[in-house]
Amino acid sequence: MAGAHTGQAGGRHRVAVRCPEPFPGHGAEVERKMVNLRPRRSRRTLSAGKALDRGDEEEDSEEEEPAPEFPNGGPGAETMEEEGEEEDDDEAPEEVTFASAQAEAKEDERRLRDALRRDKALLKEKRKRREELFTEQKKRKLLPATLLEKLTSVPQTKIKKSLPRLEKGNTESEKKGKKEKTFPIRVKKRYVACRLKDQDLIDLRQQAAKGFIQKYLYGRGSNRTTVNKFLSLDNKRLPVKKPAVQFVNNNWGTERKQGAKKFKKQWMHKKKLASRRPNIT
Amino acid sequence: MGEFKVHRVRFFNYVPVGIRCVAYNHQSNRLAVSRLDGSVEIYNLAANSFQEKFFPGHEGRSTEALCWAKGQRLFSAGLNGDIIEYDLEKLGVKYSVDGFGGPIWSMAADPSGSYLAIGCEDGSVKLFQVAPDKIQLERTLERQKGRILSLSWHPSGTHIAAGSIDYVAVLDVRSGNTTQKMLMDKRHPGSQRRRCVVWGVAFLSDGTIVSTDSAGMVQFWDSETGTLVQTHPLASSDVLSIAVAEKEDSMVVGTAEGTIFHFQLIPSRSDGKQSQWVRTKPFQYHTHDVRSVAHSPTALISGGVDAHLVIRPLMEKVEVKNYDAALRKITFPHRRLISCAKKMQLLLFQFPQRLELWRLGTTDAAGKNEDILPLSRNAEHLLQLKKKGPENICCSCISPCGSWIAYSTASRFYLYRMNYENNTVSIKRVSKVPKFLNSALQILFSADSTKLFVASNQGCLHVVQLSEGALKHLHTFHPQSGTLEAMSLLAVSPDGNWLAAAGMSSGVSIYDLKHLKPHCAVPAYNFPVTALAIAPDTNNLVIAHADQQPLPDDKTPLFNQHSLREASENIRRRHAHAFKISKKFQPLLFMDLLDEGTLVAVERPLEDIIAQLPPPIKRKKFGT
Repeated sequence: MAGAHTGQAGGRHRVAVRCPEPFPGHGAEVERKMVNLRPRRSRRTLSAGKALDRGDEEEDSEEEEPAPEFPNGGPGAETMEEEGEEEDDDEAPEEVTFASAQAEAKEDERRLRDALRRDKALLKEKRKRREELFTEQKKRKLLPATLLEKLTSVPQTKIKKSLPRLEKGNTESEKKGKKEKTFPIRVKKRYVACRLKDQDLIDLRQQAAKGFIQKYLYGRGSNRTTVNKFLSLDNKRLPVKKPAVQFVNNNWGTERKQGAKKFKKQWMHKKKLASRRPNIT
Repeated sequence: MGEFKVHRVRFFNYVPVGIRCVAYNHQSNRLAVSRLDGSVEIYNLAANSFQEKFFPGHEGRSTEALCWAKGQRLFSAGLNGDIIEYDLEKLGVKYSVDGFGGPIWSMAADPSGSYLAIGCEDGSVKLFQVAPDKIQLERTLERQKGRILSLSWHPSGTHIAAGSIDYVAVLDVRSGNTTQKMLMDKRHPGSQRRRCVVWGVAFLSDGTIVSTDSAGMVQFWDSETGTLVQTHPLASSDVLSIAVAEKEDSMVVGTAEGTIFHFQLIPSRSDGKQSQWVRTKPFQYHTHDVRSVAHSPTALISGGVDAHLVIRPLMEKVEVKNYDAALRKITFPHRRLISCAKKMQLLLFQFPQRLELWRLGTTDAAGKNEDILPLSRNAEHLLQLKKKGPENICCSCISPCGSWIAYSTASRFYLYRMNYENNTVSIKRVSKVPKFLNSALQILFSADSTKLFVASNQGCLHVVQLSEGALKHLHTFHPQSGTLEAMSLLAVSPDGNWLAAAGMSSGVSIYDLKHLKPHCAVPAYNFPVTALAIAPDTNNLVIAHADQQPLPDDKTPLFNQHSLREASENIRRRHAHAFKISKKFQPLLFMDLLDEGTLVAVERPLEDIIAQLPPPIKRKKFGT
């Protein structure tokens, strides 16, 4: 199992997990099985015996590995081993003193620790922000206290005014504290109040059932036509052809026609007023 | 008949609701019809197909099936998942029971009338036992895959045929298992993706199952072996309904194109041993889908989306060829939907979900006979009153002076006070309505608008005094005969002394209003009363019966007058004898005398109704 790859801070962290070898020949494949686990420190520092806040299982599995692989022990031996793997030539390894290697190792360790701290801080901040977001959303869901006050004080005055408008639901307006459809007119239009009693009539299953009938009788494959065309068929076959039954569409442009009527009324009223007070120049 | 100025009103935009289910009761010769808005009507076929009873609809109800059970009980089931029993005496809903299977698509009573089977959305067929005062879930038969759209009992009550999407299943009632499952051939001529929906099934006593489906075919299956015996491709659109006669020698099916086909069992060999089902006659009386058909011993009955109820007597079954043997097409309701405030020239229109108040137009011109006079002021739509709550409006009335409007739903009574100043109308609700006025079947105001008469569904008649702000209960007349029969018609004499009330099968009772006690009763006649009126000067009571023979009844002397409260749906305005028939009008809904020289007639041309119906099936005609 001489293939334990070291992990580098910031790079792609891999750990070779030692799985029990069923057959001796399978060592190579097991070795290749890489599992992406949490970022961890360089393996070099492990054996230095520093306190780790990693999972114990990993530690255990890790610690088992270096032991048989590096019978010499010590970081120096590891570096030599690693460098040896990287170079393919048969040159003699470089001469590195123990002190420099130790200093290097310490620096790496420090860098890793800083990186860890930064990561932790980032995560903490993220968590904090999410918490804030959740509380804000929750607050937004419940109506603000001011709005509730407004709603409970409005019923008395709104009832008298809304009696002439006899829409559905106004019978309960005498009772206090019930939300009504008239409220959204006074309040900002983000809320629509509706009675729970009315919701009973809108059953989802009933809607689905009605949709089934609609689909099969009037849906895509059905051979339907408009009433106008249906009734005009006879007119088309007469010896003297007559126009369709609903030849003129009276519903066309209703808004424009209504607007025109209103304008005409206003204009005539203006003219009448103007003629009553003649301009004496 | 003198000369009148006639206001011909055509702005009553009433569209009758389409018919969804039809159910015929053999014992009493009555027909129950349910419509798409949940209202149910009962027609007395023996009495010239008069609409006897009316149950107003409900927004949450959407009936899909209607059936009669033992003892003249009427049940309906719909897409809201409830089974409703109707109280035929009090004209209301007795109770409703949840089917626990989701929306209910079909319901059938077994031949003995003591069990009800319902077909639900989840594919289960549930059996309910009909107990004297309620129904109870007894068992659930084996659950099928897909919604059960049609059900039929075998005449012996041992098996049930259930039609669903793409198959028909035969269930054994005792064990609950599926004995046979017949799969439909997906030979749909149009698009390939649509599945074959079995809209109707019928189970015959020899084990043949007849199924009608959305591919336009009527197929005969053998229930023992599950094989197809015969197939009749009838139309290219859906065949929506099927009904078999009691004797099982004739059958009627209705299609989506509006055609109904009559099938008859004809002996194929001369010795009569073997017989075959043959399609004999097509009838085209509808323009839109025929959603439901029924077969009475002598007639074929069909109803559909175009809201016509067509009763077609079969010529070979009818013994006496008289007026009864003609085709009957019933489009309009047989109740009064319009009331008139004579002094203010206002009309109140009752729709199922709102009331509209209109003022009649006026004309200053004068003309001769048959002239159409121009309007100086058009008719005005003054007020639209929407109903409160999910129930539809049952009855309504406006007082002759125009200052009170009252209407009632199945459970509540509403009264409003009106104010007309300058050109504006204001309305105010009278909120303190007494407790006993909870639901009314008929409402009437006295001629001087001081009294209100309410016929409640308990059978009593309430007299309430109206004043500026309050209501005072004057008296309640209880039914004399001891039966809780609801009153269907009311009439008050113009001088305010007499009140006549007609029950459904009992005669007309007359009450004295000055002394507040019952006066006398006109004996019951064979046919129910359709219209009632009391003459102004003479206090004569004019009663019109369903057989169209008006009986001028002399209570206190002198002659007749011609103010009818409602008119039938055909063009004949009145009957012969002392009256004259005028055929000038379009189908009339209402006619009243405004004052000594003016009549108002509300017409509803049939073309205007058809223009507002849902789309029909396309018919291909050569050359268009």
